[in-house]
Amino acid sequence: MKPQDALPSTDTRSRSRSPGARPSNGRVVLEVDGVSKVYPRNSVRALDGIDLEIHDGEFVSIIGPSGCGKSTLLQIAAGLIPATTGEPRLEGTPVVGPRRDIGMMFQQATLSPWRTALQNVLLPIEIRDGAKLARARSDTAMELLHLVGVGEFAKAYPGELSGGMAQRVAVCRMLITEPAVLLLDEPFGALDELTRDRMNEELQRICLERNATAVMVTHSIAEAVFLADRVVVMSARPGRIAEIVDVDLPRPRTFEMTAEPRFAKLTQHVRGELDLGGQL
Amino acid sequence: MTTTATPRKERHSLYAPEPFINRIPQWLSVLMLGLLGLSAWQLVVSLELVARILLPGPTETFEEIVVTAQGIVTGDHVAEALWITLQEVLWGFLAAAALGFFLGVLTGETLLGQRAVMPYLVAFNALPKVAFAPVFVAWLGFGVESKIAMALFIAFFPVIVDTAAGLATAEKDALVLFRSMGASRWQTLWKLKLPHALPFIFAGLKSAAVFAVVGAVVGEYLGGGGGLGELIRLSAQYLNLARVFALIFYLGLIGLALFTLVGWIERRIVFWHRPEPTEIKGA
Ligand SMILES: Nc1ncnc2c1ncn2[C@@H]1O[C@H](COP(=O)(O)OP(=O)(O)OP(=O)(O)O)[C@@H](O)[C@H]1O
Ligand SMILES: [Mg+2]
Repeated sequence: MKPQDALPSTDTRSRSRSPGARPSNGRVVLEVDGVSKVYPRNSVRALDGIDLEIHDGEFVSIIGPSGCGKSTLLQIAAGLIPATTGEPRLEGTPVVGPRRDIGMMFQQATLSPWRTALQNVLLPIEIRDGAKLARARSDTAMELLHLVGVGEFAKAYPGELSGGMAQRVAVCRMLITEPAVLLLDEPFGALDELTRDRMNEELQRICLERNATAVMVTHSIAEAVFLADRVVVMSARPGRIAEIVDVDLPRPRTFEMTAEPRFAKLTQHVRGELDLGGQL
Repeated sequence: MTTTATPRKERHSLYAPEPFINRIPQWLSVLMLGLLGLSAWQLVVSLELVARILLPGPTETFEEIVVTAQGIVTGDHVAEALWITLQEVLWGFLAAAALGFFLGVLTGETLLGQRAVMPYLVAFNALPKVAFAPVFVAWLGFGVESKIAMALFIAFFPVIVDTAAGLATAEKDALVLFRSMGASRWQTLWKLKLPHALPFIFAGLKSAAVFAVVGAVVGEYLGGGGGLGELIRLSAQYLNLARVFALIFYLGLIGLALFTLVGWIERRIVFWHRPEPTEIKGA
């Protein structure tokens, strides 16, 4: 089965959501339309004909072998690098450059060590509207910091924060501009497993509360399934979508669920697709 | 009876014993080494292993330092020389800091700078720059200008190179983040790259503080002008080496004071980064 064929069928399925899934009007927020990417520098074909629709309030995980173009896909969707063919569209308009209604997060928190947690959260506003308007949003930033449980550390510098706390601050920095879509590139990949589990639970809670639309790249099958409404499995060289797996587990998901047979079935399914993808 | 209680003797540690130097406070080891050095010096002088005229002892040198200090306080010719050299060093350093920073940002920020200018800078940096001293004297004469130029010339290379290198140290993800936030090139430079470069810039400035003294003195050795370098040269000609040592001591104080000042400013500004205690590059 060609990956292109897989798309329409899964898309119709994802619109008829399971009862546990979040309410969605099915509006497409982010659309990746036939995107291919060849890096001119080394002629590497990183992506080949990617079609993907992300709906309002949906959480999509992307998983695939290293080097299959996951980061490339996110950067194209964010308008940071151009697609060779095809185009990403955000709420109907083509993405042709960096967009301020897109929030991003990376494996490293990349906080500025000379700014307090609060000032770090306000950075996107400062860059967009200047320092004065940024200060005027301090209350919103404080609310966000409290939301992710680091409110007491608003005045602390990143050097005084643990890795998990730094990523929480990075979450706030991403949310402060109220972006239409969140693009997360292995956001908790550098954290220890316990912290990572906690962060995933929090991320789910935040996304549910704010009805956020999110795409997350991860290397962990369990994490992909735990968080996602749909898991996009990619294959490498060139990067293609091998399969899209619907995750019809009710929300909010808990860690008890990860011990249930249907969770195991889903992770096994994804693992199977990953192995197939590797052979393609 | 059980065999759990192993005799104490057999349980001696296989780890190397804690070295003695670790068990005494650092200031004590510094002091002890200093005293050891002074004693060796005194011993060499007392045993007359070297002719007295060629190597004055620590006490003579210390006396000379005190005498010179008295002269400086009363405003004698040494005070004048000190003032001249101090000015040369300060102006040379400030010019080197400003010019080095400016050129460093240009080099580090532009592709042309990184690709074309940087190799030249690295090559120039490898030249023995003191060899240019006669050139500056020829161009600018025997006044303070040639010494300031020499101090600037020797001191600004490390500032350029370190500034340019420091600008490249911002994390890749942070750069991507700034681009995703729609930051302009100026904002990225000002809010991301420059702050990241600050520890490097200050390392360059500390090298410059030391090099500025070298430049000024080399200029004075060659171009006269009434500074400390000139006095040292004259005293050496008269084989008054105790005086030479005393003057070098005050010269060292200038360098140390400037170095300490830069370090103090660094700790104020770059509060998030603790530099190694001795990040000085050799001359
Ligand atoms: N800037 C670039 N220039 C040239 N080639 C690149 C560039 N970035 C990525 N590539 C190549 O494109 C391919 C996909 O890279 P990408 O970083 O998107 O993979 P990934 O799926 O995110 O990998 P990982 O899981 O290791 O993060 C790789 O073969 C990589 O070498
Ligand atoms: Mg990646």
